[in-house]
Amino acid sequence: MAIKTITDEKEAACQELKKAIGARKVRNDEVTLVTHGRINHGFDPSMPYQKPSMVVFPETREDVVETLRIANKYKISVNPIGTAQMGIPSAEGDIILDQRRRDKIIEINTDSGYAILEPGVTHDQLTSILRGTKYKCEVGTMTGSATVLAGGLGRGSKSFSNRHLSSILDLEVVLPDGTIFNTGSTMYPGVGPHMRYVGYPDLAGLYPGAMGMLGVITKFAVKLHPVNEVSKVHIAGFSNFADAVDYVKDIVDHNIPEHSIIWNWHMYQTWPLDSEGIETVMPEILKMDILKPPEGTPYSMVTSFLSGYEEQVEFYENLCAKIALKYNGRAYPQEEVEERWPQTMAGLKQQYEDYSYREGTHWARGRWSGFVVFAEPKDIKEVEKITAKEFSELGPKARPINNYAHPFDYGRSFLFRYAGFPETDDTETRMKIAKKTKEICAEALQRYRAVPIRGVGESDGEKIYLDVLGRIKKALDPNNILNRAAGAGFFKEEK
Amino acid sequence: MKLAATLEDVQPASSTCLRCSWCSYGTWPENLPLCPIYWQEPSFTFSGGGYLFLAMALLENRIEFDQSVADYVFSCAGCLACDTKCAVIRSHKSHLHIMDAIRLLRSEAVKKGFVPEGNARKIYEEVKKTGDYGQTVKLQLPEKISSDKADTVVFAECSHTPAQKGISEATVRLLEKIGSPVSQFAEKGCCGSTLYDFGFWEQLEPLAKANWEKMKALKDKNFVFVNPHCQEFIIKRYPEIIPDYSPIDNQHISQVLADAFKQGKLKNKKSGKVKVSYHDPCYLGRGLKIYDAPRDVLASLDGIELVEMGRNRENSFCCGARTLGNYVPGLAEDTAKERMNEFEATGADLLITACPYCKDSFQKVLPAKDKERVKDLTELVDERT
Repeated sequence: MAIKTITDEKEAACQELKKAIGARKVRNDEVTLVTHGRINHGFDPSMPYQKPSMVVFPETREDVVETLRIANKYKISVNPIGTAQMGIPSAEGDIILDQRRRDKIIEINTDSGYAILEPGVTHDQLTSILRGTKYKCEVGTMTGSATVLAGGLGRGSKSFSNRHLSSILDLEVVLPDGTIFNTGSTMYPGVGPHMRYVGYPDLAGLYPGAMGMLGVITKFAVKLHPVNEVSKVHIAGFSNFADAVDYVKDIVDHNIPEHSIIWNWHMYQTWPLDSEGIETVMPEILKMDILKPPEGTPYSMVTSFLSGYEEQVEFYENLCAKIALKYNGRAYPQEEVEERWPQTMAGLKQQYEDYSYREGTHWARGRWSGFVVFAEPKDIKEVEKITAKEFSELGPKARPINNYAHPFDYGRSFLFRYAGFPETDDTETRMKIAKKTKEICAEALQRYRAVPIRGVGESDGEKIYLDVLGRIKKALDPNNILNRAAGAGFFKEEK
Repeated sequence: MKLAATLEDVQPASSTCLRCSWCSYGTWPENLPLCPIYWQEPSFTFSGGGYLFLAMALLENRIEFDQSVADYVFSCAGCLACDTKCAVIRSHKSHLHIMDAIRLLRSEAVKKGFVPEGNARKIYEEVKKTGDYGQTVKLQLPEKISSDKADTVVFAECSHTPAQKGISEATVRLLEKIGSPVSQFAEKGCCGSTLYDFGFWEQLEPLAKANWEKMKALKDKNFVFVNPHCQEFIIKRYPEIIPDYSPIDNQHISQVLADAFKQGKLKNKKSGKVKVSYHDPCYLGRGLKIYDAPRDVLASLDGIELVEMGRNRENSFCCGARTLGNYVPGLAEDTAKERMNEFEATGADLLITACPYCKDSFQKVLPAKDKERVKDLTELVDERT
């Protein structure tokens, strides 16, 4: 009797799936498989290569349901992806569920202020369709070709998001047994996604950071924000980060900006550079110690997005200038910024005047290596101090050009991101940064109560949390077929 | 890209790739599909990044180089949309471009003898047999303008497209109408662009060098090109291949015509009103950034109304002519048909292009009665002056 091998099982699953949803949507040719061996951005030989067993391109929700049904039957892990993702683990033999072909914009609601999207919709598509609607969406720092859902379910930086952490309203989710459910107000037939928290505990909250391990999202709603009569970027400069934090907290407490970011000087001078600038401007900046900006260059620059009626914005601008003085800083008129750092101003205009973010060259400057934490205002100041010092000691090869902070939830918590972009082939520096940032993260948590954006799994509190998560996962996904690699930390398979 | 490039040289570009498929569609806010293969099969594999990652998979021995890999690498239309669009990889001057990596993969395929059936195989057989792909062509320049001492040299390309004959004849008639003295340069077989694009690198270098040996005696002259592929290759790639290359003045025929109209050397004759749409050939547009001259020419012609297609200039959609692989069945024809559909949607009577490959590609997918609706710019101008 022939012994059934794992390969036979996967081949059988593949054939069954091709029959169920159409061969065109399921690929298991070698070229497709090897080009999906690393699904996060940037080919990185130091990251494990995990060849999938097939790559599925669903075009309908039913295609997703069928994929999960067959994956469940054959117990093959399914890893849903979008475009331009980072940090998504996968395992050998997974089914990669690439949702890019599900890219319909289902509804733009300009009464309530939301967009209902399929998971393959990109920021470029959304920002494009929003032109003229008097509404804008939150845009991240990745290229405009990145899928909204990936950013939406992350907790990273997005513009226009000071006032809350998550841009997600409602989700439509498919479970391995074929169950389809909606979270929030859309659980009621015919009701739009205007209210996430209704009636029951918030199940949408399970999904940010879940990386597909608790269900596959097949539709979602994100918040839109009105474009008011006047929109302006106010810029203020400070000689240190702590003053910038106090300033931001003050203006946020007084309901002034829609959104603020604190950019440290390496970042605001290099972030929007074009390819020529990368060759000319950046090396000069990197020669300088990050702790010591040149005379007259503010260490931290705060950009605040102001919007409202004309009189209101003018009033806010004056207020910002006044409050900046209170914290030893000063307002920088746009003309001055344009003259001194023209590319910075061009980048800000794109983000705040077009309400889009399309130039991803920032991400091309090497390989991102760093960390992101959330902390309370007084703690974030201390975290910045230790981090800047450590990165200064790492030297120019670390290229610490990715350092900024911004408030969430009206300044209750500040996101703080500090990273370098060492050359793509400079693995040594990258490893040094990784080691150093791990130490900084631990110190930031112990001494300054700064919580990491990705779990570490070491404290008792985390372990209990993961245990509960594991129980939820077991209930939703008993065969552990939803991104097995991502759930490896807390889902213990029964022997 | 130097011909000595290896798969290792692709790594910096692939490490920079965000896997975002930004390379596959046009500028914001239209975001129209540009990459023909991605348009047909939206997937990372069929984006510029997919080719970079395949090169890495080969380097890491994750996959054997076989016929299907060759089919895949020859399936790219070579339209340069990816390199034009992806600002991420382009930000690094030292990185290989996506199209460079694809050409490199093709050269690997050729080295290993894996060549797709069809046109690629035909080219392969001819190159193997003769060491060349093309033939020396002599334009029939009228005596009244033909002068070896002329400052302008017409580059006579190695006619291996059915469209070339008509375009060359129209070009000669136009040069006669303009009346300035010209000489011609007959290349020694292929200038190298076809060999370069399709991976015949072994034969390329001697050919390019032999051509340059002949060209450099004329290097102070102004070269006029009709086929943008030849022009792009000589202007942009000879410097990388030929050690003693020095820049030459060059113009595309559309620029010569635009100047001639401005200088009053070309006069309109009485012609009826026609609505036309202009297809930007990839190598003339994205390759050489010549977008205005053909439009200026059309604007100089009496009775011509230009209606732009949605995808134009650097966002032009390819004609599919240079898709030689069979990894996505029918891709070349489907690409041409997609572009023809876009043309039809404009309501124009004629589709004008400025590259013999484009003309051939579009005519191939049209019924016999409609083939005359596709013309080269030179042919249109010749008819109406």
